[in-house]
Amino acid sequence: MKTQLSVKSAVLALLLVLAFVISWELYLRHKGVEADYDDGPELWAYTRGQVYEPADKAVVFIGSSRIKYDLDITTWEQQTNTRAIQLSMVASSPRHMLTNLADDPNFKGKLVVDVTEVLFFSNRGNASPDAGIAYYKGRTPAQKVSFDINKPIESRLAFLNERNCALNALIGEMHIPNRPMVYPFLDFPIGFGVTLFNRQSKMSADFVADTNKQNQVKAIWGLLRNDPTPPMSGKALDKVMQSVTRDVARIKARGGDVIFTRTPSSGFFLQAEHHMYPREAYWDRLLKETGCKGIYYADYPGMASLTCPEFSHLSPADAIIYTNNLVAVLKRNRTWGL
Amino acid sequence: MVFNSYTFIAFFAIILVLHNLPISWKAKKINLLIASYIFYAAWNPPFILLLWLSTVVDFFVGRALYTQPNKSKRHMLLVISLIGNLGMLCFFKYGGFILENFVILSNAVGIDYHPAKPNIILPAGISFYTFTTLCYTIDMYKKKSKPVASLLDFSLFVTFFPHLVAGPIVRPPQLVPQFETPHKATGQQLLNGLLLLTLGLFMKVVCADTLLAATSDTIFGSPGNLGMLDAWMGVLAFSGQIFFDFAGYSTAAIGVALCLGFVLPQNFLYPYAAIGFSDFWRRWHITLSSWLRDYLYIPLGGNREGKFKTYVNVMITMLIGGLWHGANWTFVAWGGLHGIYLWIEKALSDSREKTPRMPDSNIPVPVVVQASLAPTLPARGNGGFLYALFTFLLICITWVFFRSATFSAAWRLLRSMAGQALPSGPPLLTTAAILQVGVVITLMLASHWFMRDTTVLKTASKLPWWLLGIVWAVLLILIILSQGTSKSFIYFQF
Repeated sequence: MKTQLSVKSAVLALLLVLAFVISWELYLRHKGVEADYDDGPELWAYTRGQVYEPADKAVVFIGSSRIKYDLDITTWEQQTNTRAIQLSMVASSPRHMLTNLADDPNFKGKLVVDVTEVLFFSNRGNASPDAGIAYYKGRTPAQKVSFDINKPIESRLAFLNERNCALNALIGEMHIPNRPMVYPFLDFPIGFGVTLFNRQSKMSADFVADTNKQNQVKAIWGLLRNDPTPPMSGKALDKVMQSVTRDVARIKARGGDVIFTRTPSSGFFLQAEHHMYPREAYWDRLLKETGCKGIYYADYPGMASLTCPEFSHLSPADAIIYTNNLVAVLKRNRTWGL
Repeated sequence: MVFNSYTFIAFFAIILVLHNLPISWKAKKINLLIASYIFYAAWNPPFILLLWLSTVVDFFVGRALYTQPNKSKRHMLLVISLIGNLGMLCFFKYGGFILENFVILSNAVGIDYHPAKPNIILPAGISFYTFTTLCYTIDMYKKKSKPVASLLDFSLFVTFFPHLVAGPIVRPPQLVPQFETPHKATGQQLLNGLLLLTLGLFMKVVCADTLLAATSDTIFGSPGNLGMLDAWMGVLAFSGQIFFDFAGYSTAAIGVALCLGFVLPQNFLYPYAAIGFSDFWRRWHITLSSWLRDYLYIPLGGNREGKFKTYVNVMITMLIGGLWHGANWTFVAWGGLHGIYLWIEKALSDSREKTPRMPDSNIPVPVVVQASLAPTLPARGNGGFLYALFTFLLICITWVFFRSATFSAAWRLLRSMAGQALPSGPPLLTTAAILQVGVVITLMLASHWFMRDTTVLKTASKLPWWLLGIVWAVLLILIILSQGTSKSFIYFQF
């Protein structure tokens, strides 16, 4: 088969790609996109591998997105001299992560489990944790090397921000009208969630200052109101309580310890949570059955006054206040020798 | 290591440099062999032992098979090779499946047997390299070709990284002679190879992973009944995903080999332009279908023992071909459905008693055409495209069994596609997802139809240089925009 391609084609292709990448990067930076890390299974698996540090040197955090925003890791590490290993995943329940840690005989550390009731007491929201756990268990040497190569590249280039700049995100941003009742593409605005290498999520300064963007996120939370699924109760709730209690007991039996936290929410989100998940029926029962300590933000004046700009997560400045208060409570109670 | 990863880019760059150094040919082959082992070990290092075992056993058994004059000893050696290769495949790939079915059977006859579930990890590409080594020993047994002279060449033939884990399944005469004399890519081969590598990655990263996978996963993962539109879109998405994923790998593999100066056989020839099912099987996974033809269908008797036996042989071949894809009865059903299609096609063909149309000279010898199951439908003309479209829709039905985890899920989806099931919930797919699938599948079908008698490289070489440059750049830009994060190829699990 005789074919004749020209070197000129390859050179032109390279030049066009180079020109596109440079222009695209400059344009996105101008729009306020920051270079960050893809909060996918690769980064989660890397972080999951850190949980074996000695118990007096590190604390592991699992939960949903709130603790990812609300725990300021730099503040935590300065205040406690221990590392914060952030394993929480957005829009997911931490229960499968708890089971994964309980199943791991080598994990004997301290664990903070943050509770967002609508996700914690639900049988949905396990897809991301399951994917992360499966990836961690099946990680190949090639994937580890790819992760190491990817790290410096991803941290420097804004166009590699998958959430806002990948092809599917760009198609989603076209907002093509859907058929009635179809769950839409959730178009979170740029700057709502910048992911750091330590897996902390942060709102950008632009986002904190821009109430339009905050309202856009509030509108997305508003979609949750359309979910007809009733709060978990009865036998399903009993089963969850038993499963969590069993996992906590296994970690404690190995010398580890578990604390539950409830991070702030505001506005209609908070009202709906109070209405659907009364504290005594869920939070109080969880603490009672597991025998664990709990830190509910509303019980502490320093945290109770915090307000979430988009009703569900704290701004970076308030995350520092929350973390300082959290550490203060732990120290006051002489928890974990802090 | 997958082609769509940073690790591979670094690995391949090093290999290209090493392969172009002014060192001896033997040293270059050793480099390629070591690189291939590293490529494989990058998944799971211990499994490299299986690869070594398979290589060494088949090299020596193959040589003995060729030189051994005693017939019974030759039989014995062949049996050793078959047990070694197929035993390994059975244990790793079908061990759990066999045990599961044995338990079901035991329980059905009243024996209360509940063994622990085995935790067997499937070595990547075991089905592919087992078939590669198996064809060598069978060829030696039949003295179809001469044994490979050196263990180095044979090891490189089995292990050569572009084809190792997902094909194309190569035969010794296709690759071994290329290792016997120094090979280095010419400038033109390097350009061709890079273009094919780009196209392969585009098919995998952009078309399969970015534009189609989510829709397919959503629909096939749905536990309830679906609306007709959603069901069809999910199945169409998978028909595109499986093609772009696998053909993308093959195209990239051929491109990578070409960059090093080696030519691998074609594995896909626009299969969705097929008119009829025998035509489909000479366009889809060509190296597997020709393997099954030569090492299963023809040894079974092919079409030489009467019509009834031909039908039986076709069905056996398709059922085993189905099982090769995965340890689940749904794969067997997929193969069986293709077998039924081929039966019907043959019955129609026989009833018309027309001479089979010979395939285009560019198309490799087909799997079933040689077995006298050639289509009698016109390849061109007004009706041609409609026949191809009808073939495609019937193939989409088979994908339901291929992709569904259980028969009940497959049945539920088929009922939804037929509009015979009341949807369990609201519609699932966004308009954007529906448009994505619609546009990609339409473009895919159109490109298959217009390219059915040519190749990518031929078409590319006819374009003005500037237009090819622009097209090439668009492919690369879309790969970059997709940001595929090293997703595995579907066929690795086979």
